[in-house]
Amino acid sequence: MDRRWYFAVGDFLASLLVGIVAAIAAWALVSPDWNMWAAMALMMPLGMIIGLVLFFPMGALLGAQEAMIPAMYTGMWAGMVVGMMAAMMPLPLDHALQMGAACGVAETLFLWVANTLLRGKVRQAGG
Amino acid sequence: MADAATQAKWDKLAPRFDGMASQGAERRWKPHKQKLFSLMQGKVLFMALGTGLDIPAFPPGQQITAIDISPKMLAEAQKRIAAYDGSIDAQVMDVHEMPFAEASFDQVFTSCTFCSVPRPVEGLKAIHRVLKPGGELFMFEHTGSRLAPFRAMMDLMTVLSERVGPSMNRDTTANVAAAGFRIVEVENVFLDVVKTIRAIKPA
Repeated sequence: MDRRWYFAVGDFLASLLVGIVAAIAAWALVSPDWNMWAAMALMMPLGMIIGLVLFFPMGALLGAQEAMIPAMYTGMWAGMVVGMMAAMMPLPLDHALQMGAACGVAETLFLWVANTLLRGKVRQAGG
Repeated sequence: MADAATQAKWDKLAPRFDGMASQGAERRWKPHKQKLFSLMQGKVLFMALGTGLDIPAFPPGQQITAIDISPKMLAEAQKRIAAYDGSIDAQVMDVHEMPFAEASFDQVFTSCTFCSVPRPVEGLKAIHRVLKPGGELFMFEHTGSRLAPFRAMMDLMTVLSERVGPSMNRDTTANVAAAGFRIVEVENVFLDVVKTIRAIKPA
């Protein structure tokens, strides 16, 4: 990811925020009487939509693709994980928040690794 | 005649464009754009000048011809054009219908342009026509991804984004090759989604 402090910290906080908001939404909607697979299937797109909605204000500060992709991915994972957990057992809010935040951290790390592997010159003349 | 739908789309966006793009995206991308634009020399054509957000990244002293399909975007760009330490001749023009003579330019630069050109390969062929043999094409573009998890997301996002502005899932590198250019270098800036492309019109 970006090594400038403004963007490094901003990207991390943005992913945390999206993870937490998506987790709250999944926690509020899903209860143990839900089918786990249905919860997963519905909370994934809901999380992505939450990520997309939050991308618009965050993107103005943090960039375009560099803000959109993490926001939608974090929302998708947080929605899916918290939705499935909430369908399996009564889930306290603080646990849901921790899982949402963990999804944000995991997504930041995943994208950091992916970007480290992908960025740079990939094709040169004669190469 | 310029593509009226595309022109209307960007005219509508013009008053709000700087608010959307000038902080996050432009601050994030400026070092990469400065590096790319530092290669400007000779007779330069700049595609899709927009509100001129790229102008502060131009090297001083260049003589640049710039085009954009949106008169309202270019109206927003006037202050930045006036502040540039060099010359920018900005004209309202559709890339598909450029009236320049064949082989008019030494270099063409694009910046987040071919996510929005309605017929990208034809637009690139038009650039190919106005470049001199051996002339260079330098692009800073966001594209789709070749990696499945990112590609799916870019495809999904494009369904929404095309209604108001750019596509998110184009294979611009392949489009450049399809238009007859020889790709010299591709450098990923963020994942394989934001990148610089350098290509040459074979002599």
